[in-house]
Amino acid sequence: MEFFNVLGDLAGGFGTALQPFNLFMLFIGVVLGLVVGVLPGLGGTSAVAILLPITVIIARTSPTSAVILLAGVYWGALFGGVVTSILFNIPGEPWSVVLLFDGFPLAKRKGKPGVALASSFFASFVGALLATVMFTFFARALAEVALSFGPPELFAVFIMSFATLIGLGAESPAKAVMMIGFGLLLAAIGFDTITGQPRLAFGQVALLSGISFVPVTIGLFGIGEILASAEESGIGFVERLSAKVGFKDLVETLGELRKRIWLVVATAVIGFWFGILPGHGATAGSFLGYGLARQWSTNRENFGKGEISGIMAPQASADAAAVGSLVPMIALGVPGSPTSAVIMAGLFIWGLTPGPQLFVEHHDFVWGLIASIYLGHLLTFIICIAAVPLLASIMRVPYAILTPFIVLISIIGAYSLNNSMLDAFITIVFGLIGYWLRKMKYPLAPLVVAIVLGDSTERTLRQSLIASGGNPGILVESPLAKVLVTLAIILLLLPLIRTIRGRRRTDIDSETVATAID
Amino acid sequence: MLVAAVAMLDSRAGALVDRSGTEPGGIGAGFYPFWSAALVLVCAGVVGYKAWTTRTPGPPAFEGRESVVAVLKLIVPMVVATFAILWLGFYIVSGLYMGLFARWIGRYSWLVTAALVVGLPAAIYASFELGFRVPLPKSFLYDSGLLPF
Repeated sequence: MEFFNVLGDLAGGFGTALQPFNLFMLFIGVVLGLVVGVLPGLGGTSAVAILLPITVIIARTSPTSAVILLAGVYWGALFGGVVTSILFNIPGEPWSVVLLFDGFPLAKRKGKPGVALASSFFASFVGALLATVMFTFFARALAEVALSFGPPELFAVFIMSFATLIGLGAESPAKAVMMIGFGLLLAAIGFDTITGQPRLAFGQVALLSGISFVPVTIGLFGIGEILASAEESGIGFVERLSAKVGFKDLVETLGELRKRIWLVVATAVIGFWFGILPGHGATAGSFLGYGLARQWSTNRENFGKGEISGIMAPQASADAAAVGSLVPMIALGVPGSPTSAVIMAGLFIWGLTPGPQLFVEHHDFVWGLIASIYLGHLLTFIICIAAVPLLASIMRVPYAILTPFIVLISIIGAYSLNNSMLDAFITIVFGLIGYWLRKMKYPLAPLVVAIVLGDSTERTLRQSLIASGGNPGILVESPLAKVLVTLAIILLLLPLIRTIRGRRRTDIDSETVATAID
Repeated sequence: MLVAAVAMLDSRAGALVDRSGTEPGGIGAGFYPFWSAALVLVCAGVVGYKAWTTRTPGPPAFEGRESVVAVLKLIVPMVVATFAILWLGFYIVSGLYMGLFARWIGRYSWLVTAALVVGLPAAIYASFELGFRVPLPKSFLYDSGLLPF
């Protein structure tokens, strides 16, 4: 019965997503995503952040169209990054770094750029399709569970998402915690929502209303990324190899896909569940997929030399993880990846509250979004297959034009949100901060997630404590909160365990070396 | 890394002194930012300590003079342009900024540069001012009625 309900809702969602204006938004989003995906130094997260202020105007008539636009950028960027990796040996996006290992070798050394591209497109499509089916059926179930959450449980969920950011992803846990603290501090600036006291405003009237996360994210990602890429590649740019996907390539790739269909399915399923964990998304998913493919392969020595599994598995997993990262945003109000954190920021600005209530109060919005994920991937897939040469030619857009254009669009974006030049300055300042943090290898994901979740985390904590009359025991009173907090603690301890195990291993290694020398 | 850590320590110190701490019967407005700041401070300490005790220094912050120059070429015009908006308005600044890059970095002909200088602000005016109805900052000449932007 539940199954048919979901199908009915999905049909309704397609009704929304297929409206001409929404289709148009999806098309614009996907094309923009492909363009920024292809261009190194400008990512999907940046593009979504820069577009946020424009979506405010669209959201006045329909928030669904706005979210379809932003999600479209995400899907486009997922595919677009691949083109640059495979044809130019430069990652267009963080999640296409893995494709340098086997994608470029297959294109260059084996002379099969068409097959390399088609392999990644097919795998992305299949991975995303499977993930979207899972999204369709699990998101509401998860949201229904989440509806029974009170402030203590929600607080535990937030703590767990911060813990995942620290425990699973970060290279340096201390840096990740520091970024979380920094993000929470930024979120706390301005009037306290419960007592109305001004905080961290230092007497500045402009700071009393708080720092909006839109100029901050536009700065951190948009401006920060341009600065970082200017340093890496200079402001000029060189052109490399070019290719297209022919009919023969498609046939050959389909044959290869049939041989690896279980690998693609398995990595997609794993990628999806991994993507649900907060703070990871496509990049971590792609590395996970590559690792699994290599581990399961019978001919590991082919990896790194143009092995098709080394293209298909990470792509399927990355796309599935990207779709998965939207699940907690919709169902729990916790973003699953930096990009979904920015999309979630959009939801707040449009006046929606991300979380389980969305399914109840904004039924059309949620199902329209879900249906648009199916359509978005189909559209991206078709555009990619048909227009690879066109996409590759984007790399010829000179940076001397692109760079100032992005800076100007970022300034407009930040300014137009509140018609305030202060926001434009905040964007520039955070652009410099973002650039420096990148350089010093501080992770940006925890920072953005903390800025977006900061207020909710504090509110749930204080609501819980007010309800219990100041007794912190309420935070672990319910069984669910206990489980979540325990999980969070385990996740937090992970890096510590890893360090100890790593140290022991190096000790053993040095002992072996010592015995060998003796 | 150390520089960033010290900068954090320094800027957070203000937040620490500024906080009132806890209130009876629950927690006050200062509790949350205070402990967030404490978190940053402790971690900055850890990161700083690690950087201090690691014997092998990491790669230098910049690889050679070129990369510093490449970044400064972007940062300086960007900051100047943002401040100039306050006085010259968005449209004049965007034209000049675009022109500067086209001529200086892209080394385009004067014709192409001129097309960009006029074309880009015109396109932004058409889409934002007229299309989305988002008024962007105007120049001091707009206030005196000499220019429409």
